Amino acid sequence: MALLELAGIRKSFGAIEALRGVSFAVSAGEVVALLGDNGAGKSTLVKIIAGEERASAGRILFDGAEVAFADQGEAKAAGIETVYQDLSLCTNLDVVANFFMGRELTRRVLGIPFLRDRAMEAETRRALEAGGTRIPRLRTTVEHLSGGQRQAIELNRFVHWGGKLVILDEPFAALGVEQTRRGLETIDRVRARGIGVILITHVMAQAFAVADRIVVLRHGSVVGDLRTDATTPDEVVHLITGGIERIGQPTTTQGEPA
Amino acid sequence: MTLADSMPGPGSEPRQERHKALLALLLDNLVWIILLFALACFAIFIPKFFQIGILLNIIEQSTFVGIIAVGLSLTLIAGQMDLSIESVMALAAMTVALTFGTGGAGGGLALQPPWLAFPVSLAMALGVGALIGWLNGTLVVRFEINAFIVTLASYIWGRGLVVALSGGRSVYGLPDALRGVAVTRLLGIPMLAWVLVAVYAAFALMLAKTPFGRHLYMIGGNAIASARAGIPVARNVTLAFVLSGTLAGLAGWLLASRTAGATANPGIGMLFQAFAAVVIGGVSLKGGQGRLSGVFAGVLLLSSIQTAINVMGMPPHYTMMIQGTLVLAAVLLDTAKNGLRRRYL
Repeated sequence: MALLELAGIRKSFGAIEALRGVSFAVSAGEVVALLGDNGAGKSTLVKIIAGEERASAGRILFDGAEVAFADQGEAKAAGIETVYQDLSLCTNLDVVANFFMGRELTRRVLGIPFLRDRAMEAETRRALEAGGTRIPRLRTTVEHLSGGQRQAIELNRFVHWGGKLVILDEPFAALGVEQTRRGLETIDRVRARGIGVILITHVMAQAFAVADRIVVLRHGSVVGDLRTDATTPDEVVHLITGGIERIGQPTTTQGEPA
Repeated sequence: MTLADSMPGPGSEPRQERHKALLALLLDNLVWIILLFALACFAIFIPKFFQIGILLNIIEQSTFVGIIAVGLSLTLIAGQMDLSIESVMALAAMTVALTFGTGGAGGGLALQPPWLAFPVSLAMALGVGALIGWLNGTLVVRFEINAFIVTLASYIWGRGLVVALSGGRSVYGLPDALRGVAVTRLLGIPMLAWVLVAVYAAFALMLAKTPFGRHLYMIGGNAIASARAGIPVARNVTLAFVLSGTLAGLAGWLLASRTAGATANPGIGMLFQAFAAVVIGGVSLKGGQGRLSGVFAGVLLLSSIQTAINVMGMPPHYTMMIQGTLVLAAVLLDTAKNGLRRRYL
């Protein structure tokens, strides 16, 4: 059963139709690369999935139930989150503080909540080890860590707090070659733990390196939904630019707008 | 397979680690080292400087600037600022003095039993502070006006209101219940010094060890990320302003007690001293940086210099020149410190 299922998602901004009935699915433990030219509707789509925007029409099924998130908080509580590079960390604080951001462990003394720093540090260490990430000093402020390490912290944090579906929006835009390679490894590990991943990228090589499926958007519609091992970068490029009209069937047809 | 850059560089040797830890400790507490150095110099070169009485006086002198500097630090750490603290302090002092003062412009309110004046006046001062703090916070958070503008406005109208209330006259003759805190000693140390230390201890604990304190650092560091993590940013920022105002109210109450009334325009210039102390103490104007222990050292350093200049019998405007230079030096030092951190830590 699919973890996330989009059926006939439409979104209009005034007279402009940004999404014209998008349908596709993501399974648990699957990496889906979402590709498309600028203005194809990728950001609008992921904003709808993450609860930042409401769809004008269409249905979203998550974990087998229909959902309509009012805001990011609800989506996050359900286990869907967008991980933006750097946007979700406080670089002035250490790894532990960031890991427990907004979810600090406390102990009440005379009714006043006090932070349980040692317990939080131990749990952070365990969680990072479970995710295969080694950061030698957890008390270093995040500003001293590399882009790849920051991303690893965010992803591990997401998995640790019960995340089920993560949206990565251009996660390697600011990373070097080696860090990108490590980032792709992290995505691999996240997938191995049964998390669904939607990866937005412009770099074909990254999509082919890590994704199980590639979904191509053009002018607000899905024009291709392909298994990575059954397609080629050339074909995908043609789909993005419109050289090929449409390949493959949408994974679901239910709820298509009349 | 490791994702992180876990290069086992030279830093992984335990001895190197210890050196690093020591360097970090020195850098974190640089202001205290400078303070001790300054006090040592004064003690050596200024005759009669090193006396318990003078040292206690330094702490006692620091009370008012010290307490408003805590509020300023809270708002700066949360990525805002509060310029209104000096006027709030003056307004609280004037409110208390006008209500309870028996001479000058004072209203001469006498409560029965007399000790009631203590809690009632304290509540008035804290209330005035909290109210203005809440107003500042609401304007910043709800109406999204820049904190500099909001609190500068409060600084100006607050000052105006103080003079308008007093009509340019001073107030004197506060009841004994109100004078107590300024004239009593506990274990040979002035009560004002105890209050100052207690305020710093309480708020340092709050910043370092409670979720609220940690969230202030987070908001100052990255407000968007904090909001995304479910931290109530608007509420916490408003609360920081309310606390800042309330602390200024407390400082005003202590000032009234200390001066047994209020001059026509009390506490003028203390905002700049507080700002200097906070910057010297290592609180960054960028937000999310700084600790109260540094601010405390900064306050004591300024007060020590002032005292040293007094003891030497030099004209007081030298104090301002030195303090101004110190602020610049502090900022330069901060840059140098960050450079050292990047290179060696």
